[in-house]
Amino acid sequence: MVERAPVARSPIAPAPPTTIEYGWEISARSSDAELKITDCTPLAKVLVLAPMYGELARALGVPFGRAARDTHGTLVVGSGPGEWLLLAAPGTNQAVGKRVEVVQDEGLVSVFDATHGRALIRITGPRTPDLLAKVCAIDFADEVTPDGAAFRSSVAKLVTDVVRDDSGGARSYLLHCERSSGQYLFDALIDAGDEFGIEVDGFVDPGDRGV
Amino acid sequence: MSMRLDHRPGEVIDRQREFTFTWNGEEYPAYGGDTIISALAACGERIFSRSFKYHRPRGLLTASFLDPGCMVQVDDEPNVRGAHRRVEPGMVVSPQGVWPSLEYDVKSANGAFGRFLSAGFYYKTFIKPRRLWPVYRRMLRRFSAGGTVSASPAQDYFDKRYAHPDVLVAGGGPAGMAAAVAAARAGAQVLLVEEEYELGGYLRWGDEAELAALRALREEVASSPGIEVMPNSVVEGRYDDNWVAVMQRDLSHVEERLVKARAKTLVVAPGLIERPYVFEGNDTPGVILSTAARRLINLYAVKPGERAVVFSANESGDAAAEDLARSGVEVARVVDARRGGDIVRVKGGGKGVRAVECSDGAEIECDLLVTAVGWTAPTSLINMAGDRPVYNERAARFFSSHLPDDVLTCGGIAGDGTLEELIEHARATGGEAARRAAKTARRLRGGIPLESEAPPAEISELPLYEHPALFRGKTHGIVDYSEDVTSKDLVTAEKEGYDSIELVKRYTTVTMGPAQGKLESVNAVAIMAETTGRTIEETGTTVWRPPYSPVTLGALAGRIFEPVRYSPMQPWHEIRGAKPLVAGAWIRPDHYGDPASEVLNVRENVGIIDVTPLGKFDLRGPDVPKLLNHLYVNRWDNLEEGRVRYGVMCLEDGVVFDDGVTGRLGPEWYVMTTTSSGAAGVGEWIDNWLQTAHPGWRIHVTPVTTAYASINVAGPKSRELLLRLTEGVDLSPDAFPYMRVREGRVAGVEGCFMWRLGFTGELSYEVHVPAAYGLHVWETLMQRGADLGVGPFGVEAQRILRLEKGHFIVGQDTDGLTGPYDVGLGRMVKLDKDDFTGKPELAWQSEINGRLQLVGLQPHDGSLVPPEASQIVEGESEIVGRITSSRMSPTLGRSICLGFVAEHLTTPGTKVVVQLPGGERVPASVTPHHAHYDPEGTRQRG
Amino acid sequence: MILLPCPYCGPRNVSEFRYVGEVSERPDPNETGVEEWRTFLYTRNNPVGWTTETWFHSAGCRQHLIAERHTMTNEVRASRLPEAQLPEGQEERATGGNVAGDGGGAIY
Repeated sequence: MVERAPVARSPIAPAPPTTIEYGWEISARSSDAELKITDCTPLAKVLVLAPMYGELARALGVPFGRAARDTHGTLVVGSGPGEWLLLAAPGTNQAVGKRVEVVQDEGLVSVFDATHGRALIRITGPRTPDLLAKVCAIDFADEVTPDGAAFRSSVAKLVTDVVRDDSGGARSYLLHCERSSGQYLFDALIDAGDEFGIEVDGFVDPGDRGV
Repeated sequence: MSMRLDHRPGEVIDRQREFTFTWNGEEYPAYGGDTIISALAACGERIFSRSFKYHRPRGLLTASFLDPGCMVQVDDEPNVRGAHRRVEPGMVVSPQGVWPSLEYDVKSANGAFGRFLSAGFYYKTFIKPRRLWPVYRRMLRRFSAGGTVSASPAQDYFDKRYAHPDVLVAGGGPAGMAAAVAAARAGAQVLLVEEEYELGGYLRWGDEAELAALRALREEVASSPGIEVMPNSVVEGRYDDNWVAVMQRDLSHVEERLVKARAKTLVVAPGLIERPYVFEGNDTPGVILSTAARRLINLYAVKPGERAVVFSANESGDAAAEDLARSGVEVARVVDARRGGDIVRVKGGGKGVRAVECSDGAEIECDLLVTAVGWTAPTSLINMAGDRPVYNERAARFFSSHLPDDVLTCGGIAGDGTLEELIEHARATGGEAARRAAKTARRLRGGIPLESEAPPAEISELPLYEHPALFRGKTHGIVDYSEDVTSKDLVTAEKEGYDSIELVKRYTTVTMGPAQGKLESVNAVAIMAETTGRTIEETGTTVWRPPYSPVTLGALAGRIFEPVRYSPMQPWHEIRGAKPLVAGAWIRPDHYGDPASEVLNVRENVGIIDVTPLGKFDLRGPDVPKLLNHLYVNRWDNLEEGRVRYGVMCLEDGVVFDDGVTGRLGPEWYVMTTTSSGAAGVGEWIDNWLQTAHPGWRIHVTPVTTAYASINVAGPKSRELLLRLTEGVDLSPDAFPYMRVREGRVAGVEGCFMWRLGFTGELSYEVHVPAAYGLHVWETLMQRGADLGVGPFGVEAQRILRLEKGHFIVGQDTDGLTGPYDVGLGRMVKLDKDDFTGKPELAWQSEINGRLQLVGLQPHDGSLVPPEASQIVEGESEIVGRITSSRMSPTLGRSICLGFVAEHLTTPGTKVVVQLPGGERVPASVTPHHAHYDPEGTRQRG
Repeated sequence: MILLPCPYCGPRNVSEFRYVGEVSERPDPNETGVEEWRTFLYTRNNPVGWTTETWFHSAGCRQHLIAERHTMTNEVRASRLPEAQLPEGQEERATGGNVAGDGGGAIY
C-alpha cells in the first residue's frame, strides 16, 4: 500500500549534486583537495553496552580509548567505559548486531542500531590536526592521540566522539555526534577548515575494504 | 625636516619600499618596517597625543608597545599603539582626545590649574549635589582620552585555537631564544612567543658583537624543528595548571587569534622594562629613555634630536650616548648618576625640551634628554603563577621569591650577567623546562613511568649587578603618564591617610591606565616608601593581573560556538515558511502562519506536529521498574507490556522536576519520554542515581531523543490517516486503546513504535520513526492525508490545545516551589513505596494545608486574555495567586487560563480578581476542572 | 582553567565537567526528620582547604567521579569512581551510551 520506497536522510544537507545510493540521499561530489570533509552518516552504526571486562569485551578486543578494525572490516571503537560503537558498510546494521549478540556474556548486554541517532563525519588531510585545534582542546599530537585513538570531548562546544583513523597514510579523523547537531558540527568544521582550503567530498561505500 | 639617518647595520626598515600615509590630515612618507611613530619621528614630528587629564603635549618615551604618549587612532580603530604598529601605505592615522587640535588644545588649561586636579580631585569635587551627577558625567567624559569606536558592528574574523606545547617561552630575547633552543634540543615541542615583530630583544639595537650573537641565535631557532615562533604575539595571562592565554596578532587572514595553550612548563623570559625618572618636566616631548633612543637610531635610522643631554646610571645610558654621537647628535653632556650626578628639571613647553637643569646648577640648552636610571622586571606572569616578588636593594629591582615547579625564569628577570652568562643560564633553564615537561606529559598520559628519568638539571644562579636606586629626583614630576598622576599626588594621598600602596592606587589611579604599571609601578612604590619612611620592601608592590596588555573584545569573543539542534523534518518546515521558535538549542516551528486555524484543524480533522525534541530514553534490563519507581512519584512495578503510563518526577526537595510518559515495549525494554527542556537534566539525574547510589542495578540507559523522529498525529481523523500507512498494527480501538504502545511499519519504514496519548485532548497517536526516515514519513502523512484535511501544527497551536485540555507544562505552570499536591496530582504520589526521590518532602507536603493550588480560570469578559504572570489579588493589595497560562481558545471562542490561587478560592465558580500589568482589575471565575474542553476525555479515548 | 583528572579519560579541562556537589550522605528517607533532611538538602561545609566533591564528566565518559580538591589552590590530589561502585572484579556498571548530553549536546 506504500508506493514510494523510503529514502533515508542524513541530518547534514548533502552538497549538490545529490544522488540516492544505498537507500540514502547523498552528495555526489568528488574532491581531490588536500583537506576533505565527508558526511559518513549512511554507515551502519551499532552501539554495544556490556561489562567492561567480560566475554563480549574480550571478543570485541578493543578497550575504551582505542579503535581497530575486526576481520570483517568493521571499525570497533571503544567509545566509553563498557560502551562500543561499531561502524560498518551501509545496510549491514543487522548483520553486525547479530555477530555481537551471539557472544555469551554473563553481564547485561544491549545492542542498539544507532545509525539513525547519530551523525558521522570524516575529515582527511595533513592539516586536520590544525583544523581540530581550532575547535577542540585535546592534544592531537601523535604521542597523545596516535592512529587508533578514540575519545569523547567537546568539539565546537558539542559533545563529540573523535576517532583517529588514518587511511592510506593520510591523517584522518571520524567525528561522531548526536544526530540533531550534525549540521551544526559539519558547518563548524567547514568554518574552521576554511583557512586550510577544506572541500566537501561525497560519501562512497567503502565496500570490501571495510569502513 | 628629515631626521632619517644613513643605513644602520641593524635597521629593520626596507628602504626599497617607500610609500605615504596620512597623519593628522597631512601626508607623510614612510618605509616598510617603520612604525607609525618612527615614520613620523623621521619627519621631525615630536608630539603625538595630549595627556589624559592635563592635556599636556606628549611625545615619544619608550618607542615600544608600551609608549603612553603614542596611542593613536588608525582608520576606525582606536587606541592603537603607534610606536609598535607598523605603518602601511594609505593608512589614515589621527591623534586622539585632542580638541580643537593637537597643536593647540584648550583643555591644556588644566595644566595651568593643575592643583585643582590633584589626588582624589574628582572624588572630592563632583560628589554634591547628587542630582548633578549626570551633568558631571557628561562634562568629564569630554575630558577623557581615548579614540573613537566605530558604531557599526565589527566584521573582522577573530579566531581561537588550542595549543599544547611542552614548553612555552614567554619572550623572544636572547634568553628566551636560548631557552627555546635548549628545550627543543632536549626533545620538547616549544612555543616561543614574542611581543615584537621579530626575535632578538635588546640585541637588535645593540653593537656589532650583539648583532652577531643575534644572527647566531636566530639561526639556531630557525634550525630547531621543535620550535613554533609566534612574533607580534603576547602572553596575556597564566592561569591554573599552566593554562596560558596568548594573543596572536601577526596573521594575514584573521584579525587576531586567542591561543589557549596548556603548557607543560612555562619559561618566563620577558626581559626588562626601562624605568622613567620622576622629575619636573619629565613628560616634556624630547625626554626619552635610553632604550627609546637606541631603538630609534638602530632599528629605524631616526635621529631623536639635535643636541642631547644623557643622564646615565648604567650601560644602556652609556651606549645610548655613543649611539647619539655616532648618528650626528651633539651630546652636550653626560650626567653620570654613578658619580653622584643628577638632573633637577627640564625646561620647555609645547614644542618640547629647551634646556636641562643639572644638580650642579648648570643649565644646558638642548632639545633631547635621554635617561637611563634602571629597570623594572615585568613580574606579571610569575605573579599570576602565585609568586610574590621581593625587592633586591643591590640590583634595585624585584625578583621572584617562590615559583611553582612548572614555571621557570631566565634572562633579566632572573638576574644580571654578561650575554654569555645569560645565554648559558637560559640554556640550562630550557633544558630543565623540557625535563619537567616530559614528567608532566607522562602524568597527563596516564602516569606511565619512563625507564630512566633524567635527574633535575643544576642551574647556576645569575650574578646581580649593583645598580643605583633612582626613582625620583629632587623635584616632583609625572609618575603615571597614562593617568597623569604626579609624585605630588602620591604624597598628598599618603597625607590624607591612604598609606597602603593598594589604597593609593585606587585613590589616585596610579598604575591603572593603559600601561598598567609596567612603567610606573616601581616608581609609585618607591615614592610611597620615601613618603612613609618605609623601605620599598616594606611598602610592597601591587598585584599584576591578566591581561598583560590590553585585549580587543573581538579577540575574546572570537568565533562563538553555539550548538543548535534540528529535527529531521526541518527542511520541510523551512520550505513551508514555519516561524522558528528557539527552545534551548532546538529550533522548532512555532506555527505555519495561523495557529488558531491549526488548532481548529486538529479539533475537526487531523493535524501533525513535529515533537522530535521530546526527550527519549531507551531503558533495558531487569531492574528498570526499580529505576522508574525511584524517579517517579507514582508506582511502576505493575506496568504491563504494551502499556504506557504518565509519570511525574520530583527532586529531593519535593518540587516537580519533569513529567512524561513511559511505555513498556518488551519484557525488559522501556522507552521513557521527558519534556524537551528536561531531557538533559533527567539524563544526568538517572546517571547520578545509577552510578553513585545503585550501581548494582542491571540497567542500560541510552538517550534516543534524536534516534527517532517523533510525530504526533492528532484529531478525529487521525486513525483513518494512520490506517492508510501503517502495517503490522491493529489500529482498531479495541486492539489499540488509549495509553497503549505498539510497534510496526509506518509508510514502509521498519522499526517504528507509536503510542496513544491525549495531550491535545483528541484521538492521537505519537509515532516514533527511525530518524533518517522522519522526513519521508512526514511527507507521506501530508500526501496521503490530503483528502482528510491533514495539516501541520506548531508549538503555539499545541500550547493552545493543551491549555484547552487543562494540561500543565512543567516550568510554565509550575515553578521552583511547586509540588505535585499543588497541581492536583497528589493522588499519584505513592508514599507507601519504600524509597523514591523526594519522598520525605512529599510526605510532609501531603500533610500541609494552605498552599496555592492550580485551577482553571475564565475571565468574565471572554474577549480579554490576561497576560501570563498577572496577579490574582484580594482587597487592597493582597496577592492570592497568579495566572500561569492564558490564551484565546479558538475552539471555545473565549479566553481561558490556568493559574494558582489560594486554597480558599479553589471551589469551582469562585470569583477572583485578576490584576492586569497596567493595574486594571478584571473578574474571573474558577472552573470545575483544569480542562476547559471535554473534561471527561471522551474524545481522546475514542 | 584547571585540569580535572577523570579516572577513565585522564586529565581534562574542567569545562568538560559539571560540578555536582560536596559528597554527602543521604539520610534514610523513611527514618529522617525535617532537620536532618533539610541539612542534607541545603547545608554545605564549603571549607577553606581540602574538600571531597562529586563531578560529572558530561562532555567525556559520562561518568560520575569523586575528586579531592583544595579550594584555595585548586590542587586536585585524588580522583576516583564513586564509592558505591561494585567490588573489584565485578565491572558490571550501569552506563549510558551517550554521545551527547542529549539536552543540546552542548556543554557550557
